[in-house]
Amino acid sequence: MCNKLAILFVAGVAALCAQDMPLDPYNSVKINLPADSPLTLISANLGESHASARGSAVVLDLNMALTLRNSSQSRVRGVTLLVAAQEVTPGGKASVTVPSLDVAPGQNFPVRIDLRLLRPGQVGGGPLVQVNLDGVLFQDLSFYGPNRLDSRRSMTAWEMEAQRDRKYFKAILATRGPEGLKQAMLESIARQSERPSLDVQVSRGGRAVTSAAVPEHRAQFAFLRFPDAPVEPVDGWAEIAGNEARNPRIDVRNRSSEQVLHVEIGWIVTDRQGTQYMAASLPNAEPKLYLPPGSSGRVVQDTSLRFSKNRGEPVPIAGMTGFVSQVEFADGKIWIPNREALAGAQLLGILAPSPEEERLTDLYRKKGPKALVDELSKF
Amino acid sequence: MTHPSQSTLALYAGKDLGWFAAKRAERHVARCRECRQAVEAFAALHDDLVGFVEVPALSWSRLAAEMKANIRLGLAAGECVRGGLSGAPLGWISGMRAAVACAGMVVLVAAGLLLERSTPPAPPVAAMGMDESMVLRATASGIELNQGGQSMSLLHVRAAQRPGGQPDVTYSAGAQGSMRARYVDLDTGNVTINNVYVQ
Repeated sequence: MCNKLAILFVAGVAALCAQDMPLDPYNSVKINLPADSPLTLISANLGESHASARGSAVVLDLNMALTLRNSSQSRVRGVTLLVAAQEVTPGGKASVTVPSLDVAPGQNFPVRIDLRLLRPGQVGGGPLVQVNLDGVLFQDLSFYGPNRLDSRRSMTAWEMEAQRDRKYFKAILATRGPEGLKQAMLESIARQSERPSLDVQVSRGGRAVTSAAVPEHRAQFAFLRFPDAPVEPVDGWAEIAGNEARNPRIDVRNRSSEQVLHVEIGWIVTDRQGTQYMAASLPNAEPKLYLPPGSSGRVVQDTSLRFSKNRGEPVPIAGMTGFVSQVEFADGKIWIPNREALAGAQLLGILAPSPEEERLTDLYRKKGPKALVDELSKF
Repeated sequence: MTHPSQSTLALYAGKDLGWFAAKRAERHVARCRECRQAVEAFAALHDDLVGFVEVPALSWSRLAAEMKANIRLGLAAGECVRGGLSGAPLGWISGMRAAVACAGMVVLVAAGLLLERSTPPAPPVAAMGMDESMVLRATASGIELNQGGQSMSLLHVRAAQRPGGQPDVTYSAGAQGSMRARYVDLDTGNVTINNVYVQ
């Protein structure tokens, strides 16, 4: 009898602890758009948001459905919102980007933000989450916003990839017709589903404690070089211990006639079976690199990356390959590899498709070839 | 609660505050987690910077010691001169001395600025002030940033499902300390890219 009462008591306490609490949207989230913003907040719906107690901690699930309007005179191609919860994770921030948009002036469009916060104690008084506009990219690649996350570069690169891939699929449609386009879509879908994926855990600074007993060695990068790349990788290495790589360094040389501000290296790791995975992108550590024509510089990061697959199975690193995946020049122009170079280096099966290629294949899957042809004809 | 300024916390972390101010800061930091973290970050930064004080090409400590010695020498020489001229009604010499002192200060400041400009570039602040307890990882439902038992996750609840029941999400890591999840929103058909960064 005592046992039953004890179980009932524990169950009751657990039920009380796990109960949901409503969230006051005005006190939980603050959405800040500048006065001269080209976007207007039409509505912010936090309908399903709630807080629940888990023991002494509180879990807040914020499901925000924002509706924004393009108040500018240009078509919007991408938006990045900066999401910060300084009270919960003062050392981190987040962003939500919607690239590959085509929003006409005066048109509304949705942006969804789904955020979960875990913090000890009770929900405080002030707004837990601040949402700020980081940037808006327009059709002519002009940009508005504080650009704290360097979203101008990211969104410009995605837009250039979008233009590159739309041009590729339109060329297929023009030369091989709808059947050829269908074939290209099926090949892309197959590549996406067969692409080997890797779980990566990133931590800043020194070596992770868990692998401290594994002997560490310095491993050299092999490089893929694209003929038209304005920057070439020269030498590079990282410290390797089992399935962990840390402190990657890559020396690069600017072989263009323009000053380079930013270089991003794609980092591929090979396991002992010879399978290649896209592991990470490796941008320069400083906000800007300032690499004059003909000069050399170093792309360096003091981070540790641990690789695993199938929910935790370590992937020991047997080899590493790097390639220049993005270059930003002083005038704001961006270089990205062309499709022929990616196909020639057999990278299409390793890299994720561009956001635009993913959107187009999704459109083809859901609505069929006619919808895809109509979509391509808009651009 | 009124927090001490960042400069006060930085001075406290470097043990450069006066006794009373240090005690006041110590009391506040003992109660305030946010300021304690700031002090820890400043202390870590201070420790890191110690290693950069002595660069092989230029010994800053030796240079500072030499500059101090030169200043002391100048002051001692001044005292000698003053001793020899004591009682002399030479107002114009006093003005000249001030001018020479000012010129000396200008040269000193200019030299300092010049030398500071040639300082080798320091590692990025984010890397120096990094908190190794912060871990960024992909979970089944999103990207999670865990920091001292508290966490923030950007979820991809509106991603389509793969045939196996897994969300159709492409993850990518940035070696600078970021993780990205990309998916096509089921409702809107728009590609959405969630990114979480360790600062």
